Amino acid sequence: MSFDVHFFDGKTSRTHKARVTTSSVNWKIAYTDEGSIPIEISWNPQKVKKADVYTKGLVSFTYGDSFPFQKIESSDEDFINYIHNSHEHLSSSIDILLHKSKGKSIVFLLLGIVGIGLLSYFYIIPTVATGFASTLSEKNVIDFGDYVFRVITTDLEMNEEASKKLQIFVDEMDINGTFPLEVFVAESDEMNAFALSGGKIVVFSSLLEKIKTKEQLSALIGHEVSHIENRHVLKNIARNFGGTIFVSVLFGDINGATTVLMDNVHLFSQLSFTRSLEKEADIFGLDIMRENKLDLNGMPELFEILKKEIAVDVPTYLSNHPMLKDRIEYTKKIASEQEKVSENEVLEFKWQAIKEAI
Amino acid sequence: MVVKCTENNDTCKTRNKIALLNVTTKIEFMEIISERSTQKTSLKYLGGGTEFAIIFFKNIILTLLSLGLYYPWAKVEMLKYHYQSTELDQARFSFHATGKEVFRGFIKIYVIFILLYGFLFYALQTQNQVMMVSAIGIFYLFIILIVPFAIHGAVRYRSSRSSWKGIHFKYLGDRTEFFWLYMKGVLLTILTLGIYGAWFQVDMRKYIFSHLRFGNLSFNFKGEGADLFVINLKFIILFYLTLGIYSFWFYRNLVRFYVDNTSITQNGKEVKFKTNMQAGDVFELLFINGLLIVFTLGIATPWVTVRTLNFFFRFLEIEDDLDTNAIQQASYDDYDDAAGDDLLDFFDFDLL
Repeated sequence: MSFDVHFFDGKTSRTHKARVTTSSVNWKIAYTDEGSIPIEISWNPQKVKKADVYTKGLVSFTYGDSFPFQKIESSDEDFINYIHNSHEHLSSSIDILLHKSKGKSIVFLLLGIVGIGLLSYFYIIPTVATGFASTLSEKNVIDFGDYVFRVITTDLEMNEEASKKLQIFVDEMDINGTFPLEVFVAESDEMNAFALSGGKIVVFSSLLEKIKTKEQLSALIGHEVSHIENRHVLKNIARNFGGTIFVSVLFGDINGATTVLMDNVHLFSQLSFTRSLEKEADIFGLDIMRENKLDLNGMPELFEILKKEIAVDVPTYLSNHPMLKDRIEYTKKIASEQEKVSENEVLEFKWQAIKEAI
Repeated sequence: MVVKCTENNDTCKTRNKIALLNVTTKIEFMEIISERSTQKTSLKYLGGGTEFAIIFFKNIILTLLSLGLYYPWAKVEMLKYHYQSTELDQARFSFHATGKEVFRGFIKIYVIFILLYGFLFYALQTQNQVMMVSAIGIFYLFIILIVPFAIHGAVRYRSSRSSWKGIHFKYLGDRTEFFWLYMKGVLLTILTLGIYGAWFQVDMRKYIFSHLRFGNLSFNFKGEGADLFVINLKFIILFYLTLGIYSFWFYRNLVRFYVDNTSITQNGKEVKFKTNMQAGDVFELLFINGLLIVFTLGIATPWVTVRTLNFFFRFLEIEDDLDTNAIQQASYDDYDDAAGDDLLDFFDFDLL
């Protein structure tokens, strides 16, 4: 078989119009040089290298391991077909297939990209992020919480007296957690309370004022402790920002990801949890209450208080806790199964002290 | 004319030889003439949007599936496509880089940056003021110092891996020399609050071009910093006055400045590059590119890339005097370190 090619000898840029005759043993390239002298060059097919990427209507090859490299370029359709059909190492069958029906290939590839993107965004990233949050060492979790706390508290006015009393109350509670708990009361009209990873809980004064009993307070603390112990905060941050970082990295903007993370520290106090995480926190909170021999009805009562407030105003704390009605129902049900409890007098005493401080 | 000679007539034989030689020379000469007359000295970009889209999307998928590890191969394949689609005198350009080389470069860059970031984060978490300030200082100093090496490495690697008609490019610049040129430029730019920046850019370009070879051809850039400064200054003033519309003229001026001041020297003769791009052309390019990107949510990116390259080469001309068949191969610089090229990629800075 022989085909039309352009031959370059690697010494000058002269284009030699040549014929290449191929066989399994060698490729013979024949052309006439400047002095009309016929020249024939032989290539070992094993040493022929594909010079470039798939381009329609063009093939080019280089030859040899040492400089200068000889090269042929050809747009001879017969040669292109011959290469595509019989030289696997010189052409990629996947590329040939993809370029055969272009429209279909593009649709197929785009669907592939969208599929991988969705799978990563909704499944792989959250799984990896949650896994990462679960395996992070305790010290790192605490350090991170401290960092966020430092940034957030610059805008908060703490009620030192109430904080101290609340801390005494929490210390008195029987909570066998991994993280040392530190609680704070912040002066604010907002009906909010939030937990930070590593053991910090901030309760806003207006919410504390609405709480009537130590059981309700314990329900709130128990719920927040659950978020801390189960690393909900960290898992949530990892999930939320994993997606953002994924998108940033995808578009090659690593700096952007860092900026997003740093700029949004304030949002950490207002993260919304999924319903399943909230339920997990409620059940865990009830367990803590049970450990402390407290009437579990404190939990549904707390929700009732919050529900009432919803009609007046939509506080952040509530808007992030969907299906309050459901939560009242299932906590009530669990509470109804509780055997009669004796009064926890120590906690009652500490609770009264808090009441006086706010 | 060749006549039949009697056996012993030497004079006749010699005459015939000369006549034959004349004919051959004439034929050859005619061939050259015909080749020269059909020869096109404008560069053409022949890439197709749909064809490139397949390559582009295929590489995105492979990069995603490999968690980014495939990126070097993807980058090389896409660059190879653009080179192979660029034609001059009926021959295509070739890019000989390999994914392996580029990957090795990336590993180097990532190791350096992981160490650097590790050091930075370690220093920040100590909360020690002196430590923090010096760590940030060292971090930025390192980035400033590494850039000239990256540019040098990138230009050398790209040149070494680029060829046309089998003739390779080669960069002969000296790393230390370029480093000092760069440091001088950075310092003067800082001291003059950025004004020197135009001269700095021109100095770098002059240095790089004067050390660039293509076989036995050499390059030259003779733009002046003052001209670039005026172009930039006009842009700053007129951008706001014209509510941004001046951008198209600015872009045209910039391209003209860079292209029209570039020349090739072949056997002592200077051959110039030229572009006849108009502001209207720039407007058309950017306006349609913008529409394509916005209305397809970015899917049109490969078509936009092809349009842009096609646009750029459509207006790029080389003066007729370039003898594209007489370029001699010079020595070859087998430089396989792609780290510089990768670092510029890391900084989102592309060489053209």
